[in-house]
Amino acid sequence: MQNTLRDAAIVEVRSRVLEACLMQAQLPDGMPLDVLVNDTLYHEKKRLEVDRQSPTWAEDVAFWDGIKNRLGRASEGEVKEILKAVLERFTDEIRGNFSPVLYGVATRVLPRALPVLLNAMSPKRLLQRGVPDIGETIRIEGNIAGLKRMNELGTVILTPTHVSNLDSPVIGWAIYAMGLPPFTYGAGLNLFSNPVMSLFMRNLGAYRVDRQKTAPLYKDVLKEYATVSLELGQPNLFFPAGTRVRSGRVEQRLKLGLLSAGLRAYTNNLSKRKEKPNIYIVPCTLNYHLVLEAETLIEDHLQREGKARYIILDDESTRARKILNFTQNLVNLDARITVHVGDPVDPFGNRVDPESGESLDRHGRTIDIRRYVTDRQGVPVHVPQRDRVYTAEAGEAVAREFLKHNVIVSTQLVAFTLWEMLKHRHKGLDMYRLIRAGDEGAGTSATALVERVMRVWQALRERDTAGLLHLEEGVVESGDAAAIVQTALRHFGTYHARPVIVRRGDRVFSEDMKLLYYYSNRLRGYGLEKELEPVLKKEVA
Amino acid sequence: MTTPSKQATVIGGGSWGTALAHLMAVAGARVKLWMRNDERVQEINTAHTNTRYLKDRPIHPAVEATSDLAAAAAFAELIVVAIPSANFRAIAYELGDCVSGDQILISATKGFEAEHLTRMSQILREETCCRKIGAISGPNLADEVMDNHPTATVVASPMEEVVEKAGLLLAGPTLRVYGNHDLTGVEVMGALKNIVAIAAGVCTGMGYGQNSLAMLLTRGLAEISRFGEALGADRMTALGLAGLGDLIATCGSPLSRNNTLGRKLAAGMTLAEAQADTIKVAEGVNTTYAASMHAARLGVDMPITRAVNAILFEEHKPADVLVKLMSRANRYEHSEIPIDAPRPVEGSVIDTALSVAARSRGW
Repeated sequence: MQNTLRDAAIVEVRSRVLEACLMQAQLPDGMPLDVLVNDTLYHEKKRLEVDRQSPTWAEDVAFWDGIKNRLGRASEGEVKEILKAVLERFTDEIRGNFSPVLYGVATRVLPRALPVLLNAMSPKRLLQRGVPDIGETIRIEGNIAGLKRMNELGTVILTPTHVSNLDSPVIGWAIYAMGLPPFTYGAGLNLFSNPVMSLFMRNLGAYRVDRQKTAPLYKDVLKEYATVSLELGQPNLFFPAGTRVRSGRVEQRLKLGLLSAGLRAYTNNLSKRKEKPNIYIVPCTLNYHLVLEAETLIEDHLQREGKARYIILDDESTRARKILNFTQNLVNLDARITVHVGDPVDPFGNRVDPESGESLDRHGRTIDIRRYVTDRQGVPVHVPQRDRVYTAEAGEAVAREFLKHNVIVSTQLVAFTLWEMLKHRHKGLDMYRLIRAGDEGAGTSATALVERVMRVWQALRERDTAGLLHLEEGVVESGDAAAIVQTALRHFGTYHARPVIVRRGDRVFSEDMKLLYYYSNRLRGYGLEKELEPVLKKEVA
Repeated sequence: MTTPSKQATVIGGGSWGTALAHLMAVAGARVKLWMRNDERVQEINTAHTNTRYLKDRPIHPAVEATSDLAAAAAFAELIVVAIPSANFRAIAYELGDCVSGDQILISATKGFEAEHLTRMSQILREETCCRKIGAISGPNLADEVMDNHPTATVVASPMEEVVEKAGLLLAGPTLRVYGNHDLTGVEVMGALKNIVAIAAGVCTGMGYGQNSLAMLLTRGLAEISRFGEALGADRMTALGLAGLGDLIATCGSPLSRNNTLGRKLAAGMTLAEAQADTIKVAEGVNTTYAASMHAARLGVDMPITRAVNAILFEEHKPADVLVKLMSRANRYEHSEIPIDAPRPVEGSVIDTALSVAARSRGW
């Protein structure tokens, strides 16, 4: 976000949140200001007991000790001042220590720096061949025109799928490459602490989000910041999964925070009679052959069921060499990361005409969406309970788009086929046991695998034609099962510590069942397992 | 927000639609009642009766019938849709041309669309731009409602605005309104209880007494609440007015269409004959078909539904079906595990060895 715009947003957020705090304190069942500050103090103190690696730990402790001292003997007027100080503290942190000079330099450097990072070229090679073409590595496809048009007609919230910490630079690059202005984006503090990532985060117009902070007041401030930035016409980027998806599946249970900010901004825009009040949500998928942090993510998924470590601070993406390894492979294998832009939806989950920007019902009839939030006299009103229902429906629409615009790549297709074959072969075993027992013994006949891949591919093809998913352009789309398996094996043999699938003679073996499971999961949610059961169950010699 | 005067629209002039319009008029609203048939429009507006469905029961004069859908839709913020499930989608689609996103749609129809087990509120959502959608269901036999017998109903919607506004219009001297967020549960229960009602009719028609009826009702409730849960309903909803409440009303009352249908079947009529005998639609027939079709997919065992399905569509004799139902394995009440099934061996190594030894001796 532009510096001046950002400052304007901060000022607005402070005054709105302060006003709301004062207003609710007047209500009979409202929270008095001193209780509110105390509650925030309590949450922060509790966080600071455990969050000792926070770079601002000492400062925070001092700040909150100060608040505690002042609060003890504060008059009513002083409590308000203390609350102001707390809001200032939160908003300053969200904005970050922002240097306009650095920002200017970095924005110019970004288009060059990112390809270099992603291609991980040695300086020597760089000198020989010049800066490589980013287009070779990141492929952008789908409804790009729709996205651009929505950006003209209103304010866009871009909502990508989230599997990797590389997603942020990748989508940042894609936004730049599509000729769109920088999107503002709430990035976890951990991304700023990583030397490789932090540079890019700042350049993406990112603001800081500290997911360790649990104080409700802090969350209100964050959400209001997103709302205000949207009202200022600033396009936003938001990962609705909330965190990187651990299981490898296409995310279907979404966090609705920023989507509801979109609805709120829309209603505010109507109240202010803005010329372009519309907010458009544009889902998009990021598709990788191999996922940088796959090992850590699936490990985490398997360990819990329910109580995941929500924030992983130490994984592959924090280790520079691992990133270089990963990106090197992208280049060596001519692998592409596919960014697939989906179709726009409105904050109520209706589809939107990609040309006119009007919302449409299922039969293509135009909907006057203002009516959803206005009363009978045409005055826009916020009704939080009603708006939660709207936002939940918008979330469902985004989740549907994710499945529809998921791009199936060779590694996922082959992993799915082999996993299902193994599952049926060891039908007595549950998922955990199958993973532990592994694919020991004689492995699977490569011919049989190719044949089964063909059958899975046919089922995928039907779904592709029906518009339920996409097959990656090139080898996967061609339907040459032998080539698909070969491509997948090439990828699986390179980056991960142990090959996910490896071929020895005419047999294939999985040497990392967790990863096999992880990659297979991307094909779930399409009802393939049941449909293909007779095919995949057939005993293989 | 100020409401100038209470207004409501009802789509569908059958017995339940007319009764709902009458109820809201009694509660002080002006009501437009839409139906296709111009003769009946005339009758309601001049004689204030709907003899085809409600005999000579007087309809409140604040109910004005019309055959102009657009005018009816534009008349009020709240629109109640009471159309048989078979025509529901077609009318909802037409309605989609006349409504806007600030209007509230309430389904009063208890049934499913068989193919995808689509609920009526989902059809309203699919065919119109409206989002403020809910359903009404409960022990509300139209004839008794018209005769001013006190009763209660459930208005369900995830949106509290819908519950509140519908509640304000519907609640009156003879009707209490309860709210529920579980729209799925309320609709599913309202639809599925009709299957049990047919079974109850058969049971009564065969001359069996209260023991048999109570068994049928309790076990029926168990299976339809399992089915509801598989569709995402809240188990508690099955025990509320839209579940147990409605079940008691329809299974006990000779006024219930589904119950009546069951009694005719018990008397030896075929489905076609029984249906030809009445103008009122027994939704349970369609629902039995839909539920049987999807029970296996959802992994829910529904013996009573299967039995009703066999009587309705496979021309099985009620007596034979009853023998089959009664000879099913005896089970644990809530887990559905047969009493004499070998239990999985569990516990310590010693326990396991002892259990296996005991089993080999026939224990």
